[in-house]
Amino acid sequence: MKAFKLENEPKIKSGFKTPDHYFDGFSAKVLQQISEREVKVIPIYKRKEVIAMLAAAVVVVALMIPVVNSYNKTKELDEATLETYLSYQSNINQYDLIRELDTKDIEEINKNVVLEQETLEDVLSSNPNIENLISE
Amino acid sequence: MTNEKEFIAQLLNPKTQNTAFQALLSEYQKPLYSHIRNIVLNHDDADDVLQNTFVKVFQYLKNFKGESKLFSWMYRIATNEALTFLSQKAKLNGLTSEALQNKTIDNLRADTYFDGDEIQIKLQRAIVTLPEKQQLVFKMKYFEELKYEEISEILGTSVGALKASYHHAVKKIELFVTSN
Repeated sequence: MKAFKLENEPKIKSGFKTPDHYFDGFSAKVLQQISEREVKVIPIYKRKEVIAMLAAAVVVVALMIPVVNSYNKTKELDEATLETYLSYQSNINQYDLIRELDTKDIEEINKNVVLEQETLEDVLSSNPNIENLISE
Repeated sequence: MTNEKEFIAQLLNPKTQNTAFQALLSEYQKPLYSHIRNIVLNHDDADDVLQNTFVKVFQYLKNFKGESKLFSWMYRIATNEALTFLSQKAKLNGLTSEALQNKTIDNLRADTYFDGDEIQIKLQRAIVTLPEKQQLVFKMKYFEELKYEEISEILGTSVGALKASYHHAVKKIELFVTSN
């Protein structure tokens, strides 16, 4: 095959065309785009409404702070308060509590109560009612 | 164009801005269109990129320092816009830039705004195989017939390096066309 040489060939044109009258309307299109973009570009900090809305939002949030704080305080119960209430103020006794326990709770309690032999012996030896405990 | 400094002053002066910008548009729209079209290949894309180019030219005119000629500054903006457009389009379609260009060339046969035959298509296919810089140099020299000095100002590369680049591009293209 004969080697292709660009300089020996007649000039190859790119072959690209444009639609008829494309350039007639082009400048109008560009000017339109420029004016549209200029309208759109308004710095946010220069808009009075935005500033007013921001200020209002800050005031509302500031007013909410004490409300939210006190709401949280009334709702929260710490463990100590609950314990004190249960032991001194309520009528709940040991049997009421036992009745509320299900199998899962009992299993968990068993897991938690892992006593060392020594501790167990100490308790038993210092307890005067050891016989009662054994019989129970 | 008359004295360039004077013309830039007219472009920046709000009173004369519109008329001066119209003059700029009518002088450069055709050459810049060809430049962009040679890079992006398809008319609709070239239209988008050309519009963006002129909008950017208008926006950045106030920052134009006059260190280079207005002509080369505008060509630089157009080149950057076209290359960015191509890489974004390729990314959107999950293709490499070369794959996207090949796909566009496949579609050229059906393009209403392309009037070429087999040799034109083969030439485009050969160009796609070149590195980006060689593609640009070849298109600007061969299709757009710009002078090396002008291309040098636009791409910021020395005339010697451009000549070497063009020479390599021509060799590779000739090899591609001969063997395909």
